[in-house]
Amino acid sequence: MATPILMENPLRQGLFADRVPAPCSLVIYGASGDLTHRKLVPALFDLYEKHLLPASFSLIGISRSKISDEEFKQGLKVALKESEPQLSDSLWNSFSQNFHYMAGGYDDFKTYQALSQMLDQVDQENGTSGNRIFYLSTPPNVFENIISNLGAAGLAKEEKGFARIVIEKPFGHDLESAQELNQKVKEVFKERQIYRIDHYLGKETVQNLLVMRFANSIFEPIWDRRYVDHIQITASEDMGVGSRAGYYESSGILRDMFQNHLFQVMSLVAMEPPVAFEANAIRDEKLKILKSIRPFNENTVYQWAVRGQYGPGYLSGEKVPGYREAEGVNPKSNTPTYAALKIFLDTWRWHGVPFLLRSGKRLPKRTTEVAIQFKQPPNLLFKTNVSDLSPNVMVIRIQPDEGITLKFETKVPGMSMEVRTVNMDFRYGTSFAEGTSEAYERLLLDCMLGDATLFIRGDEVEAAWAALMPVLNHWETTEPERHFPNYEAGTWGPAEADNLLEKPWRKWRRL
Amino acid sequence: MAVSAQMIEKDLAELWKSDPGEKTKIIGLQRVYTTNLVAYASDHEEGYRADLIMNDLAEKHPGRYILIRPAADKSEAPLRYYVLGHCFFGSGREKKVCCDLIKLVAQNEVIENLYGFTFSLLMPDLPVEFWWPGDLPYQNVYFDKMAEQSNRVWVDSSKFKDPIQSLSRLSAFWNSRYPHTLLGDLNWIRVQRWRALIAEMFDGEWAKYLKDVKKVSIAYGKGTQPTRSFFLACWLAAQMGWKYKGKRISEFPEKFEFEGPQGEVEVVLTPVPVRDIKLDRIFAIGLTTDGNQPALFTVIRDEDPHCVTARSEINQRVAFTRTVTFEHLQSNELLNVGLKHMEPDFIWKQTLQVIGTVLEKPDLTLV
Repeated sequence: MATPILMENPLRQGLFADRVPAPCSLVIYGASGDLTHRKLVPALFDLYEKHLLPASFSLIGISRSKISDEEFKQGLKVALKESEPQLSDSLWNSFSQNFHYMAGGYDDFKTYQALSQMLDQVDQENGTSGNRIFYLSTPPNVFENIISNLGAAGLAKEEKGFARIVIEKPFGHDLESAQELNQKVKEVFKERQIYRIDHYLGKETVQNLLVMRFANSIFEPIWDRRYVDHIQITASEDMGVGSRAGYYESSGILRDMFQNHLFQVMSLVAMEPPVAFEANAIRDEKLKILKSIRPFNENTVYQWAVRGQYGPGYLSGEKVPGYREAEGVNPKSNTPTYAALKIFLDTWRWHGVPFLLRSGKRLPKRTTEVAIQFKQPPNLLFKTNVSDLSPNVMVIRIQPDEGITLKFETKVPGMSMEVRTVNMDFRYGTSFAEGTSEAYERLLLDCMLGDATLFIRGDEVEAAWAALMPVLNHWETTEPERHFPNYEAGTWGPAEADNLLEKPWRKWRRL
Repeated sequence: MAVSAQMIEKDLAELWKSDPGEKTKIIGLQRVYTTNLVAYASDHEEGYRADLIMNDLAEKHPGRYILIRPAADKSEAPLRYYVLGHCFFGSGREKKVCCDLIKLVAQNEVIENLYGFTFSLLMPDLPVEFWWPGDLPYQNVYFDKMAEQSNRVWVDSSKFKDPIQSLSRLSAFWNSRYPHTLLGDLNWIRVQRWRALIAEMFDGEWAKYLKDVKKVSIAYGKGTQPTRSFFLACWLAAQMGWKYKGKRISEFPEKFEFEGPQGEVEVVLTPVPVRDIKLDRIFAIGLTTDGNQPALFTVIRDEDPHCVTARSEINQRVAFTRTVTFEHLQSNELLNVGLKHMEPDFIWKQTLQVIGTVLEKPDLTLV
């Protein structure tokens, strides 16, 4: 993609790294937090090493901790050394030479005035041209405070350069709070300035969904109700809630995984071809999918939604405690750690095709994939030898071991007519020398470039919440159908999830 | 018995048919082919090096690798072959990824005619990359036929015995003779990171200084040919629209001049003593402007041999500095970078055109 910087600077032409953003300052709220240390700064360093960070770049970290610039930098350096053990002092000094820190309360207007002055000074000294990105990496309860103060301090205005805001998930706790937050942020920033982040969209394989669907002619003609029996989207984790018990108790699996990650992946799998590879064209199509989700009602919520919570069990041969035994969790908690939904999209393309979504904690392994199961072929020719032909399945693995597998039937060599399913495999790790980039690296770069394609628009967020609210409301006001915990850690979730499959030939994939 | 493509394919098929004992050792073996890479080594030593490089490359770009090299001994058969499987763990670590390497060892009287045999061994539908690791040949049938049939030919101008004559020839005949084949130069890839560092000094508001560049100074390792320095100067000229105004040159000069939209631009190539001649073919580059605010943009090797520092001074005030890692790239790494991108490198093409306007015209009867 040609960027303004490329047009201004002819020396950039033809360099493999030609997507270089304009000079800018990145302000991170919650700079002393885990995300900054583990994800954001390593992603910035990777961009720096690849010459993708603008030459004039400043980082200003803000949080409540009263530490100096040097202490802030030292903390980042120590964290970065974990992923970059070879990091030399001269490299670090050069990378971090324009890093600054500011201690201040998120609700203290003086902090924003001081920030405004600091940004002006940085622009002058470092040539960042008045371009600013504000990254909210704080708990969501301070989002509104930061946004309104940024507005009051005039920092959302785009007089000299661009002003963008990146908002981490969760975007709202329910439909009402998401609408409120959208309203609040839109009072200060225009939609084109807002970047709601979902790191799943930064993953290479998720982006490849679009390429695979729309850059090949063999898949799209069969990508509909005529050929597809059902689609399974799975995001499983082997970890428990860990240190996130406080957050998890009030959110649960639906808010944590479905409203954002799984619904976004489903939208990309199901959407119509956009008119252009451009942010709003793609987001328009995703929105149509989210709006086409057949609403859950009092009856279907029983038939199409299954919840679960893990109890004690074994993972990798080690005994692990149940969710209710985790620190910070109510011993009588009914927070679901597993959910499976059967979703119908009321569109011409997908009428009658169930999308089976599942996600859970303490499942046997960490994996995310989309499996498109095609309709079973009529077994007319081989029925004397083969009782059932297996349906073709296309599996798009998002993590780990990113790639695509196509399962199809083939004859076993020999005199008899024996048919067996084999896999045709494409793996990123084997076909391409270069490893896939970290999601945050891609998303930070896109935000600096002003490319919002991989970020979520406000109406998408609200449509996703709207689709999910009947299930959330039902689950929060009723007892689970079977007392929690209803699945053992290290297993694939509660047996009730099988009820969603409906047809005898449908099975949850064993991953 | 004469060697045939069928014999080689049969041997390869045998190679991949794991016996029960082998199966217990290699579980989940996957053959992957993403490209064809053919290399032609002119002598035994070059063949040995190419072999090592191809083995390394196979893990980054699994494919069908074919190496052709001359026999060391005249008493050997006119043509011999070896097939080798190359397996490694992919990033997933669950399966072994495998591809194959075919080595053809031939006597001088047959080696140039092996192009048809090479075609029969290529994997269909995959790109064909042809790597010529040595000096640019004159009237070599193998080179000619492979260049016609390949998607891309890789040369390394740092290995050219007479770089001026060879570059001049490439500039003059490549497009007309091989219009459908891309030309890649590993030496040009070596220059790429210098280009990136120079380019990033002119991003954003610094871009305005580019038009005022009056002098380009490049320091290179004493005792080497300044081919890479020359590439950088011609690249700047191509990108900035400077035209060469002097007499065509038959050896690299210390000074030459281009005519830019704002007047004359002087290029100075200076040999300097360096610690490691292998690493420091380019030691430093400086661009001086003479606009309203005189500026100096430099990229210099840092004291840390693994780093370089880019720095700009406007009105004698430091505007920005940046130090980045800058490891010396070996041929395998250069090829690895080159093979990643299949699209034509238009900037290289334009630079080669500028090179063609500066260097003495070649004797095309020798091509």
